[in-house]
Amino acid sequence: MYHKIALAIAFSPRIEALLSETNRLVNLFDSQLVLIHVGKRSDEREAKLQGLIEKANLSAEKTKVIWKEGKPVKMIIEACHEEEIDLLVAGALKNESIFTYYLGSVGRKIIRKAPCSVLTLIEPKLETTGFSQIVFNGTQAQITPFLIKQGIDFAKKVDADQIFILNEIKMYGLQMGTAAEDSEQEVAHTRRQLVQDEIKYVEGILGKLDQGDLKINIKVTGGRWAIELARFSEKIGADLLVVGDEHKLNFFDRIFPHDLEDLLSTLPCNLLIVKK
Amino acid sequence: METLNHKEVINLLLQLAAMLILARVFAELARKFKLPAVVGEILAGIILGPTILGTLMPVAHEYLFSSHEMSNIALDGFVQISVVLLLFIAGLEVELQVVWNQGKNALKIAVASMVLPIIAGFVLAYAFPEFLGVNINDRIVASTFFGLAISITALAVVARILMDLGIFKTQTGLLIIAAAMIVDILGWIVFSVILSLSESGSDGLGVWPTIGLTLFFTFFMLTLGKGMINRVLPWINKNLAWPGGLLSLSLAICFIAASFTEFIGIHAIFGAFIIGVALGDSEYLTEKAKEILHQFINNIFAPIFFVSIGLKVNFVEAFDPGVTGVVVIVGLLAKYFGAYLGGRYAGINRKESIIVGFGLSTRGSMDIILGLIALETGLVSESLFIGLVILALISSIGSGPLINWAQKLKI
Repeated sequence: MYHKIALAIAFSPRIEALLSETNRLVNLFDSQLVLIHVGKRSDEREAKLQGLIEKANLSAEKTKVIWKEGKPVKMIIEACHEEEIDLLVAGALKNESIFTYYLGSVGRKIIRKAPCSVLTLIEPKLETTGFSQIVFNGTQAQITPFLIKQGIDFAKKVDADQIFILNEIKMYGLQMGTAAEDSEQEVAHTRRQLVQDEIKYVEGILGKLDQGDLKINIKVTGGRWAIELARFSEKIGADLLVVGDEHKLNFFDRIFPHDLEDLLSTLPCNLLIVKK
Repeated sequence: METLNHKEVINLLLQLAAMLILARVFAELARKFKLPAVVGEILAGIILGPTILGTLMPVAHEYLFSSHEMSNIALDGFVQISVVLLLFIAGLEVELQVVWNQGKNALKIAVASMVLPIIAGFVLAYAFPEFLGVNINDRIVASTFFGLAISITALAVVARILMDLGIFKTQTGLLIIAAAMIVDILGWIVFSVILSLSESGSDGLGVWPTIGLTLFFTFFMLTLGKGMINRVLPWINKNLAWPGGLLSLSLAICFIAASFTEFIGIHAIFGAFIIGVALGDSEYLTEKAKEILHQFINNIFAPIFFVSIGLKVNFVEAFDPGVTGVVVIVGLLAKYFGAYLGGRYAGINRKESIIVGFGLSTRGSMDIILGLIALETGLVSESLFIGLVILALISSIGSGPLINWAQKLKI
């Protein structure tokens, strides 16, 4: 599934935990690991990095270290392209201040611009995080069938206990407002139909996939998916939220935030952004 | 403070009752024929107004709508509030998320579907102002106004048609909805700018300050203003009665914004529309609250407004078949081809572009509101206004069958 996993190394206090988390994923998916460091290469730094690699028990055969100089975000994205990375692991803060939100931290910029899927861990741990409860965004979009497939493969690998697929009824207010011209019975029928359509959509995708032993629940909501996903994930104490991304986000998206930007401004839990 | 006397109160209440009852009767009839409620409500106004009741039962009409001046002023207050609220929910219907998701294609279609009718309408009205009945003293503004009026799409009506046809959630359906939302936003911004250029509408701060304030207000409300709303709404939801607190304060914010835009010299409805967009886009305005607002406004204030149109104009006396024919033909063709070409430019296949063309040609409430403002500010004649109303009726009736037909095309 993920042949090459990358981690950007910045010698931050959380690096040991991030290495440990990444190592677990590398073993689970039997992947190659690419460590990317942006900064001047020196003996001291090399020794420090080597120490971290040994401490995290990373396999020397499977691990490659790339040194780059320049702007961190640009260099990390460039390395992902060059190495054809499938999954980039990144640490991120749960909340962004308004200043960071508009200017963008390095971590968030990487999430926004990465050419591959990104796993954002808000609290990486040395003993590694369990992904017991996973929430998928099942809202109807081009990427959703791919997202659900990737999510299920991921959930099977990490041995998740429960999967929730949350679907948004697009423009529920407008549709129900429009339906208000009808009789009470017709309105109730429209409401039921809207919910049924969403369930059918997800069932259609799931029907074509091997779900293994996973317990999958489909939930339907009437609000905007990013906000509803965040609320739902917080409510059930989800360990991971899986969403898809088809767009390259830029500064303009932060001035007029939508979907993913809403989610990135306040991460409810760890986040896996699936990109094709 | 001057108040209504006993007889005037009775008269006002009877006016409102007659309007609401007849609007409901004709909205139900429209529903039986699978037509939008707005069609029935406008017909109710024509029946209740000088066109039918005034001709057949002049005494009854005289008593109801012409016997008490103060009652009519109070009724006009209701109508003003109705139109402000209509634009408020039109704004609530705009979901910027949907617009972003559909991206550049929706923008291309929306712009093309507006540019062609605006140009066609402008050229036509500018070349033949006397025939069409646009204000010759304010020729450029009036001509642009006419072009803009035939370029608007009725989002709520098109949403209903797409739902009935089961294509609301298809890629084409969402594209039409997103394009209609962009048309709404662009349309009302252009409208505000034009109105500030109009001699008859310039009661505010002067042209350039008004344009600057309009653009600033729009940008502010959709960025920082929305952020402020996002901070206040959770508090309201948590601490005040629901949905009472939310409804009353939403409407209060709407009226403040409307009064602000009226103050700076553009119409009150623009403020209501923009605040509707900002509020509707907030994650804390629940879909249930939107539904309640829709029902409350669509079933009480919308009928009052649409019936009032029939009260203002005599649809027989002022009817000009030549003007109406030209408005309808140019309106339908320019909008259809604009949207169709926009679709083709966006890389959409022929069949879908045809569906997009018919979808965006759907008119209803918004172009009537624009036409009415133009009529009230003296920019267009009654004949032209009637042409716009008939264009709205024909397009809202015809779009559904045409989209259905286009879906079956084997191209």
